Order: sequence, then structure tokens, then C-alpha cells
Amino acid sequence: MAFALVTPGSVDEAVRLLGDPAAPPTAVLAGGTDLLFELSGTTAAPPRVLSLRKMPWRSIRWDGSSLEIGSTAPLRDLERAPRVRSDLPGLWSAVRAVGSVPLRHRATVGGNLARASPASDLIPILLTLDAVADLVGPHGRRRLPVGALVRGPRTTALGAGELIERVTIPEARPSAYLWQRVRPANDVSQVGVACAWSPTARHWRLAVGGAGPAPVRLPEVESVLDGPTPLAASTIAAAAAAASRLAPFSTDKRATEGYRRQVVEVLVRRALGSVAPPGGP
Amino acid sequence: MSGAWRASVNGVPVDRGDVPEDERLLDTLRWRLGLKGTKEGCRSGDCGACTVLVDDRSTLSCLTLTHEVDGLRVLTIEGADGDPVARRVQAAFAESQAVQCGYCTPGFVLALAGLLKERTTSASPDELLEDLQGNLCRCTGYTAIVRAVRSLGEDRP
Repeated sequence: MAFALVTPGSVDEAVRLLGDPAAPPTAVLAGGTDLLFELSGTTAAPPRVLSLRKMPWRSIRWDGSSLEIGSTAPLRDLERAPRVRSDLPGLWSAVRAVGSVPLRHRATVGGNLARASPASDLIPILLTLDAVADLVGPHGRRRLPVGALVRGPRTTALGAGELIERVTIPEARPSAYLWQRVRPANDVSQVGVACAWSPTARHWRLAVGGAGPAPVRLPEVESVLDGPTPLAASTIAAAAAAASRLAPFSTDKRATEGYRRQVVEVLVRRALGSVAPPGGP
Repeated sequence: MSGAWRASVNGVPVDRGDVPEDERLLDTLRWRLGLKGTKEGCRSGDCGACTVLVDDRSTLSCLTLTHEVDGLRVLTIEGADGDPVARRVQAAFAESQAVQCGYCTPGFVLALAGLLKERTTSASPDELLEDLQGNLCRCTGYTAIVRAVRSLGEDRP
């Protein structure tokens, strides 16, 4: 790998450098834990890397009941931010699932979304929390739900020169994120299951990651859940069976399709049970 | 392409104009500054052997571009003696004989020093061990490492 590193000092400069039609192909560097890993193993590095280290996007703050996460805030800061563990327990678990403490000192939410790994531990939980991303680019600013931003494996809706500034989670939600791996620590999830219940809209969200080509919400499973709370054990079982039937599964170096299908059923049951203990037959 | 890089490394100001823009902090430390206490293990962020502190935060130097830590404070194992927390961790490792081949030791010491520095209240040994999961010992000599961590976990940094 050999590339030039450019470090713009302002958002305007970053957008201008990236959006310039005459610019060489450019990779965007946030924490770098995924990008630099990828660039280590290749001689086909892009000629230019643009660092976001001077962008003013490192703060994490609660605005009433919504949590605003700067796109380049280290994940370790998010994990340690006030009320995250108590008010967004699924998010806290998902952040803790990413790499190790030294890795989370550099890895970022914006990087995780923009890189859109099929095995991302953060995308499933962000989907269930109805998180939205604020983007800035050559044509101004816009806001997209995370589900619209992440389009597929390593594919996003980010336009040329467009960057993620912030991710906002609209409200605190009882939630959970569970994963399965070969090794518990510092490994990539074979399957991840996220679920959350909205106390204001009174609906469930459930998403699966790692299992197939991209993390997905499963609306059919959510509709099984919507109804009286706490959930009945039979409802949880029906949802778990539906998830293992409906989620897209594939076989790769980490696990087979059949294994993932079985594990999803177990994780959905456990995740739902941990958010809302079964309340009846 | 190279550019100017200024940082404090183990308390000593460093000002160099020869650091390539695509160079990793690990390589700058080892091959430009001769600080070979920082070890290269996997070079993919999986083993923790290359962990250093950057502004007191444990950081994988194999996955960090040198220019990304421009203007910051870097602490490697060579500077542990001048840092009260790292020195205490180092002493605990020596006391517990938590070293076999020694390759993972600098990374363990700095990762643990980083955990102790960021905690404002006393940390339980179990919390510290959970947060050390990113450091691997290729000798699998974990028993003595766990003993060293437990000896540190009981008191405040």
C-alpha cells in the first residue's frame, strides 16, 4: 500500500476535496480499524486517503430523550457515556461486542456505518432503535434512516463526497443485542440479533446481522410481536421460529447457513426474553 | 510522500520530517525511533501485542497511521518507568512473574495501564480482565497474568 494522506481542517474543505470530480479515488479514514486492516493485505490501495481526524464530530450528548453520537466519536466513549448502559442496553452490548478496548478507542459509529460490513455488530441494533444519520455533502445536508443508508454488503447510499456527521437515536428503548462467535472476544460475529421495544410508539423492532449478505430488520417477525406486553412465551417462540425462517442466511468461512438458522432462533428467543420476560402461556 | 510529524514519545518531544504518510505508528516506533519494545504480532488488530498509549488511551499501533496521532502523547513500554500507573502495572507483572516469552507483555502492561487510567472509581478484577480480552498471550501463560491483574484490581490507580 502506498497512498497520500490528506487531512482537511474543516467540514467544507473535506466535502470539497472529496466531491472534486478531478480528485483521485479516495478512501475515507475515520478510526481506520477496518480500512487499515483492509489496506494491509492489498497492493491495490486507493491513491489517496482522507482523514476525518479534524472534523468536529467527536461529541456524544443526550438531547432530552434522544442520543446524538458524533460520527467520529470513539466507540469506547459511547460505551462509557452517561445513561447508555441503562437507557439503551442493546446499544451498549453491541458496542462492547466490537473488537477490544484498544480497537474501540479508535473505531467509530460513522466508520462502522460507512464501511457497512455484513457482520457489523452495530447496524442491527441501530436499525431496531430507528437511528437516523445526518449527512453532509456537495449538495448540502440530508437525513437518512440507518436502514436507508446501509443498502447492502459494503454498500451505502452515501453519494460522491458525502460524509456522515452524526447518528441520532430518537429515544431510550428497552433493548438487547446478542451474538454468536467462534471465540467470544475480539472476533467477528457469525450471527447477531438485536431487538428493541419503543415505549412511545409501543412497537417492536427486530434485526439480524452477520447471518447473510447484510443486516436486515424483519418486519414480519415484528408484527408477530406487536400486541400486549409483556410478551407471552408462545409469542416469543413463534417470533423466534419466524426469524429463523425469514432471515436471509448464507454459508461462508465463519459458519454454514444451517448453523446460523438454528442459532438465530435461540438468540431471538433469548434476546426477547431478556427485554420482556415471558408473561404467560 | 512524507510530512512533518511532531509528538511526545515517552515524554520526549519528537519532530521528524521523514515519516511517510501511509506509515503505521508501529513501524515508526520500531524502525524510525528504535523503540523495539512495541511488538508486532498479527498486524491485524487481533492480538494486542502492539498496544501503546496515545493520550492515555490504549491504541493498536498496527492499525493507526503515525500522522493520525500528530501532536499527541505516545507512551511505549520504554517509557513505562516514567509513568506512575504503567510503572505500577509493570511491577505487578514482575511480582506475579507474569512473563513467559515476553512478547505479549508490553501490550498487556500498556493496555492494563490504560484501563486503570480511565477509571475514576476502583475497578473490579473481573471488569479489568474482561476489558483485557483483546490481548493474547501466545504462550497461553494466562494464570500468572490473571494473578497480576487481580493484584492490581483491588486498589485505586
